[in-house]
Amino acid sequence: MSVLEVDDVSIHFGGIKALQNISLRAGEWEIVGIIGPNGAGKTTLFNCITGFYTPSAGRVRYRGKDITRLPVHRRTALGLGRTFQNVGLVKNATVLDNLLTAQHLQVGYEPVTGILGSPATFAEEKRLRDRAHQILELLQLEYVARERVTDLPYGVLKRVELAAVLATDPDLLLLDEPGSGLGPEEAEGLGDTLLTLRKEFGLTIVMIDHHVPLVTRVSDYVYCLNFGEVLAEGRPDAVRSHPEVVLAYLGDDTESEVPV
Amino acid sequence: MTSADDDTLVLPVVPPAALEEAPAEPEWRPAAHDEDDFHPGPVGRVARRVCWVLLAWSVVLVPANLLSPLSLDQTTVTHLTEAVIFAIIGLSLNVLIGYAGQISLGHQAFVGIGAFTTAYLVTEQQLDFFFALLVAAVFGGLQAAILGAVSLRVTGLYFALVTLAYGAFAEQTVFGIESLTRGEAGMTLTRPSFFASEERYYLLCLGFLVLVVWLDWRLTRSTAGRALAALRENPRVASSYGINVKAYMMVAFVVAGVFAGLGGGLFAARQSVIVPTSFGFTLGLTFVLMTVVGGLRNRTGVIIGAAFFALLGSGELVHWLHLDGFFAETIGLPVQFVPLVVGPILLLLTITLHPGGIGQQVAPIQGWLAGRRLDRHAGKVREVEVSDVRA
Repeated sequence: MSVLEVDDVSIHFGGIKALQNISLRAGEWEIVGIIGPNGAGKTTLFNCITGFYTPSAGRVRYRGKDITRLPVHRRTALGLGRTFQNVGLVKNATVLDNLLTAQHLQVGYEPVTGILGSPATFAEEKRLRDRAHQILELLQLEYVARERVTDLPYGVLKRVELAAVLATDPDLLLLDEPGSGLGPEEAEGLGDTLLTLRKEFGLTIVMIDHHVPLVTRVSDYVYCLNFGEVLAEGRPDAVRSHPEVVLAYLGDDTESEVPV
Repeated sequence: MTSADDDTLVLPVVPPAALEEAPAEPEWRPAAHDEDDFHPGPVGRVARRVCWVLLAWSVVLVPANLLSPLSLDQTTVTHLTEAVIFAIIGLSLNVLIGYAGQISLGHQAFVGIGAFTTAYLVTEQQLDFFFALLVAAVFGGLQAAILGAVSLRVTGLYFALVTLAYGAFAEQTVFGIESLTRGEAGMTLTRPSFFASEERYYLLCLGFLVLVVWLDWRLTRSTAGRALAALRENPRVASSYGINVKAYMMVAFVVAGVFAGLGGGLFAARQSVIVPTSFGFTLGLTFVLMTVVGGLRNRTGVIIGAAFFALLGSGELVHWLHLDGFFAETIGLPVQFVPLVVGPILLLLTITLHPGGIGQQVAPIQGWLAGRRLDRHAGKVREVEVSDVRA
């Protein structure tokens, strides 16, 4: 059974057809890449999968369960974790606090017991902190644990965000441009991280990225979106050399020489 | 030069050569947290201990006229009791404005419901005072939950407007139901005999303040507080962390309502008589002013701010500073309106210069008392967060 199935999803904003009949599939332990020019509808598709938008038509299924109309927080409870294009973190909190907040669904006491301050909550808080530190160590972020998010540079934030989403204990990771702002070497490192995470946590990953070498290296399957439609799909190398994809990226200029 | 077999195309990436030439960015390092290793020396420890004892003495014993050379008169003690009750109300409002980011201009109604519930149960039904307080807290929570349900539909400026209307509605209609509140005639409430003396009642209120501070502290340090911080700043991120934004907004309202109901009950037993007009808009405005000037999300600041405004409103502070004549005769300003003149000025200063309010001012001292180095920049808040005013 596929972990994620998107069936013929369309969404309109007024007269604008942002997505048209998009179908996408991600199998267990697969890394699926989504590429496409700006405005192709990649993030909109993510918003439909994670529940910020409700599609005008079509279905989204997670492990066979229809989640098309489920609120965002319920999808997180099912095991969907997502990162945001412009860094989704609580900016005025510290990195550690963000990881604690992200463990919201793993908290082993009721909110009311927490407010009353029963002794059990103190022990549970310690467990949550320990787990947060473990995740930070795994991503080599321990050195920023006590920093406020606003004080950190972009590159570090991208990793902190990844740590936070891992703290939600996801099963399916949806990464919106994890490689943005990274140089080629850092992107290489990110690719290794993703492959390790998949192995360690048994994750299925769907990622949007413009960094084509990164996507081609780690993905098992790639979709290319353009103008809200799937332009091409298949093995990374096949998609990369697909004439329509080349056209979408380079424009309609047959004379152009392709930089290598 | 595109040959026929050149279909293994690589999409445009920046040639690596160009990147190698770019100067390497200096590696970012976190600021040092040297306070971790700081332990005060023997002199520092003694100095801190002396300050703690003095603080406890002046807050607990002096107002209760125990082991104190001052022997305050009954009216002064009553006013100090009011300061403690205002602190409870301030912490209640802090949950709404500070944690949930919802401005309530009708908090006097929250307090009033607690006050009239307590008065009704004790005076009309002859029930135990503490049981009545409990019911007041529950009623406070319930009415806040109803208002909270509204806030899930309208936010920001419109929500502030709804609370404003709610405050006026409560004052004019709910508190005017004569069979429950005795209307303009007002309601009296006799305290349990053990707490009949002003000094003992002060200590009782102080005990409840400690309870509220504990609950508020645990709120901020547990999952509910973290959920509120996240949803105030970024509801999208909060929900993607699995937080049910609507449910936690309600949690904030109920907690604020319970605190306010409790504060109202204590308020009713402090006043000799309560009438509907005791809970007018100016009171609600004072609550907002004292909370913001005290410093949102800063417990110490809110308590000091609330006490300051309470003592200002009751004229106690003016009296201590020997300014009675100045306000009453030179300016011709009745003492109960002083907070509404001083408050807005302090509010402007807070918003423009010290967004952290009084809490920001006292943070260095607080840190020092807690055994850290005296750091003049402790607790610095850079600006009023946009998320505080979600219009």
